[in-house]
Amino acid sequence: MRAYIIRRFLTLIPILIGISLSIFLIMQLIPGDVVSGMLGIEANPELRANLEKKLGLDRPLHEQYLSWIGNAVKGDFGKSFRTDKEIFPEILSRFKITFQLTVMAAVISWIIAIPLGIISALKRNTIIDGIVRFIALLGVSVPNFAFATLSILFLSKVFKYYPPVGYAGLFADPAKNLKIMILPAIILGAIMSGSIMRMTRSSLLEVMRQDFIKTIRAKGASEKVVLFVHALKNALIPIITLIGMQIGSLLGGTVVTEQIFSIPGLGQMVLTGINQRDFPVVQGSILFIAFVYVVINIIVDILYTYIDPRITFKVGR
Amino acid sequence: MKRRLILVLSVVLALSLFLSACGDSKQPQEEVNQPVDSEQEVSQETDKPQVPQVLKYGTDAEPGGLDPHTISAASSIRIFKQIYNTLIDVDDDMNYIPELAKSWEQPDDITYIFYLREGVKFHNGREMTADDVKYSFERVLDPDTAAIGVSYYDKIDTMEILDDYTIKFTLKEPFAPFMGNLTSLYGAIVPKEFVEEHENLMVEACGTGPFKLQEWVPDNRVVLVKNEDYFEEGQPKLDAIEYYVMTDESARLAALRTGNVHLIKLPAASLPLVEGNPDINVLPFQTNDYSYLGFNLTLDKFKDVKVRQAISYALDRQEIIDTVYDGEATISGFVTPAMGRWAIDYASKDLYKQNIEKAKQLLADAGYPNGFETTIAVGLFDDIRNIGEVIQKQLEAIGIKAEIQNLETGQYIDAWSNKGHEMMVGRNGAGTDPNRSVAFFFSTTGSANVWGYSNPRVDELCEMGMVTIDEKEREAVYNEAQELVLEDSPNLFMSSHMDYFFSRKEMKNFTPSTFNSEDFSKVVIE
Repeated sequence: MRAYIIRRFLTLIPILIGISLSIFLIMQLIPGDVVSGMLGIEANPELRANLEKKLGLDRPLHEQYLSWIGNAVKGDFGKSFRTDKEIFPEILSRFKITFQLTVMAAVISWIIAIPLGIISALKRNTIIDGIVRFIALLGVSVPNFAFATLSILFLSKVFKYYPPVGYAGLFADPAKNLKIMILPAIILGAIMSGSIMRMTRSSLLEVMRQDFIKTIRAKGASEKVVLFVHALKNALIPIITLIGMQIGSLLGGTVVTEQIFSIPGLGQMVLTGINQRDFPVVQGSILFIAFVYVVINIIVDILYTYIDPRITFKVGR
Repeated sequence: MKRRLILVLSVVLALSLFLSACGDSKQPQEEVNQPVDSEQEVSQETDKPQVPQVLKYGTDAEPGGLDPHTISAASSIRIFKQIYNTLIDVDDDMNYIPELAKSWEQPDDITYIFYLREGVKFHNGREMTADDVKYSFERVLDPDTAAIGVSYYDKIDTMEILDDYTIKFTLKEPFAPFMGNLTSLYGAIVPKEFVEEHENLMVEACGTGPFKLQEWVPDNRVVLVKNEDYFEEGQPKLDAIEYYVMTDESARLAALRTGNVHLIKLPAASLPLVEGNPDINVLPFQTNDYSYLGFNLTLDKFKDVKVRQAISYALDRQEIIDTVYDGEATISGFVTPAMGRWAIDYASKDLYKQNIEKAKQLLADAGYPNGFETTIAVGLFDDIRNIGEVIQKQLEAIGIKAEIQNLETGQYIDAWSNKGHEMMVGRNGAGTDPNRSVAFFFSTTGSANVWGYSNPRVDELCEMGMVTIDEKEREAVYNEAQELVLEDSPNLFMSSHMDYFFSRKEMKNFTPSTFNSEDFSKVVIE
């Protein structure tokens, strides 16, 4: 087991090198550069040369990459072209916000999805099942920006409500923070819950059909015990896989929601970075998001062994 | 079961501990640093209303740094315009008015003497003197600063400090746009010791303006608070301005409807959404921008002036204005109507009236009796994209089939600067001096002349415009240049549009104007 975990973490190295290289090259390939962006219409060869020199963009590409990655290994992601601020501390403080939003959205989605999924499976092919499946389908198919925009419109027109505009940290001002975060969390959570609901339903139905459930019923166990102790536990594996993937992608994928609600999370940072062609910011944050995504996947894989003792990891020779 | 629960909990706990431990020391977000936001801020003065004098402004983009010398983004200028001052300013009739300089004189063509206001304090408490003026322009002209306004001020030969409040500029040669250029924030006056301490002015700010920077929470807000020592007596009325970045238009409008912000800017298309809403005022003002259709003059089909003129005759500019701006724009050349006496009347010109017959004739003469296929690059703003579509439709009448290329900002700027387009719709600001409007965009060496346009007479006139100090003569020079560009049609000009502030009724005394659209010095909240 330990060998497996170590090996999984070692695979991080080539993955991160690959990601860093591709993100660096992609940023070079996209049209428009930070110098044109900053100078805009004022650009002329003299100003360009001055600015490129100041930003270190006059060096050859491989040199730029090596100096960036060399410092990144030491936790120094460099400074923003635009604001001249240190990037790594900024990433961490932004990530806290996105992490909080993700956790809130995930918890909300479980509260909605898992009970409904169970009910839907138990009442298979009834009206209730139909309604739940319809809601789940909406969750899967409505894009979150549309849902977010509609909610804002509806709340502001009908209830004259709009969340507070100035962001406040969770520990600095919990009440204000929750007021700001709850609406986007509900929106993300509701959208997430669609696929979890469907997964819970089908996975539970699958398990309920298996022989060991018959055996347990035959032993005289009550339906409650059958469901909560035995069936649900066995149905959890695909659900956890899905949740892991969703959390991973949410950490980098709350961009649109963050933008609509003006939440200064990591997604906003990447987006502003891309719009301003602030290469070090984009490279640093994408690398960080990729790192977190891979780590979460490793954690999910390790969790399997605790949930289902049949799964063990052996290191192949 | 229990073991599992403990494991999951400890993972979550460990992660949150890790996160809260990381860099807590330098978190602007974590500070509850908003005295202006709270009730206790109500002033003791009896004549003040019991409402916090805090203007909340929902803006469309995150500022890209706050250094007035190196940043040209509108999202940044909006903020540092409140923080910094220039030597002189310009009013809506294009007259120069005092700012940090209380008066000035010009003994000869190349000498300017400025008398500074006394007792003006920087936000760090130190008095501003002629030294700072000298330092500021030296900083702009230092290549290591990579300042934007180099060409605005590089005619300065020497700066001589006559006393603490008097500075003499000597130019290398006569340069008529000099005064106009001094009104630009590219020449903002900054304090030397502050710049040296912070190495740059990107996230820190210290000026002489009505407001000082309190905090900047990236991608969320910038908070400015009142400069109690501001040199204009009794200004500003506001205790603070809070800029909230709200990139989403519907979010901005929703926040305005509910009163969470006092002020937003929206395009004309949003006007019907607030019609009849008693809480919201719409404040229109004329911009100094114009929209244009540019040609890539290195392509054979656009080399022939007849083709360009044919396209000009094919366009119905009023229809563009009616469709795109709901009628709220004026037909404009590249010196906009807002520039008053400098502008010639484009709307009355034959080339700017639709004449399909003539257009077809010209196109046939040029060897394209059946028209041709081409593309129109659009980007940046919605009105630009819409203008492209109307032009596409109007060109069908003379057989030109244009395909719209809708480009992302970076691509658009790329296409603009590298001639990666055939035709292109865009929008320019005409500036505060006709030298900017003409030479910058249409002289052979002008840095914004990306079209490949060259007319020796226009170049000659641009030279003359720079050294002619007499206003009447200058006017004649630029009138001739405008007529020539009109005839050559390297760009076809469309219109100068209106911009709209949407404000809450609580916000009073705000009158946006062309050259000072965000003057909050008299604004109060009721």
